[in-house]
Amino acid sequence: MAEVITVTSGKGGVGKSTTTANIATALAMLGKKTVAVDFDIGLRNLDMILGLENRIVYDVVDVMENRCNLAQAVIKDKRTANLHFLPASQTKDKTVLEKEKVEKLINDLKKEFDYILIDSPAGIESGFEHAIYLADRALIVTTPEISSVRDADRVIGIIDAKSKKAALGEEVQKHIIINRIKPELVEKGEMLSTEDVLHILALPLIGIVPDDEEIVKSTNLGEPIVLNEKSLVGEAFRRIARRINGEEVEFLDLKSKKGFFEKLKGLFT
Amino acid sequence: MSFFDIFKKKKSKDVAKDRLMMMLAYERASTKIDNLEEMKKELIGVVKKYLKVKDIEIKSSSNQDIETLEVEIILEK
Repeated sequence: MAEVITVTSGKGGVGKSTTTANIATALAMLGKKTVAVDFDIGLRNLDMILGLENRIVYDVVDVMENRCNLAQAVIKDKRTANLHFLPASQTKDKTVLEKEKVEKLINDLKKEFDYILIDSPAGIESGFEHAIYLADRALIVTTPEISSVRDADRVIGIIDAKSKKAALGEEVQKHIIINRIKPELVEKGEMLSTEDVLHILALPLIGIVPDDEEIVKSTNLGEPIVLNEKSLVGEAFRRIARRINGEEVEFLDLKSKKGFFEKLKGLFT
Repeated sequence: MSFFDIFKKKKSKDVAKDRLMMMLAYERASTKIDNLEEMKKELIGVVKKYLKVKDIEIKSSSNQDIETLEVEIILEK
């Protein structure tokens, strides 16, 4: 049975598209036929993060408007088997999506794929409503910062109101991904910890992703960091994918890499 | 946290957490009532039958398991 997973956040710039790209890639690496769908109409980004921007011919709106069929628009990644991508349209008109058409598209995708990952636009406007409407599961991405957590809370508050599943009396699974956590700052008490964020948002955690400059490089190259087996961030995303796939996996033990002097100082302060 | 931390001033993340909890307690409650303005108008209508009302303020807060709605009726002097 196909699962529709919407990756969302309240605030923009918290790493939604990077998260979508990496989880989709990691799910594909687990052998699951996966498609990442960019619903951020007018502001597409997922294409570049996946490194597939040069292969776009048709987009999600073309499919919905019957200008092409689904198979023509879906791009098959050549590096990662099982990974597919459906790009957002660059149209300026953000209201172009219609509920019935979105529903038909998702239902068609469900026939073809195991996992459908939707990259939702930030905020709580119409684009978000379409992205969340048919979700079986919502992954809420937040960084451990006040503004991001606050906006995440608002989004969490309206997911059920906008979801078809919730309207039918079923439950939309909701999970938190804490992105760009800095263990050194958390240890110093200068950054909200995982526990703090979960206490505030009162939802289960599905992943903690440490802040890492390697991400910048991987975005530059258009190669999701999960492809790098040595990367800790990659491991964080791979574990999220395994959890989505029903496996129980331990959370990463994120401790700052303290030098001897720092440790010594730690004893006396 | 070591023993000496007790004497240190509050960490910035604790301030952040407190501020967030305060803010969210308020925001969550206000988003829960969809038609707050409508309810206010109707309430004013009802109370006006018996009293001279200037305004009604509705504050809601949630604390762990208890959610409360505080309705303050401001009367004309």
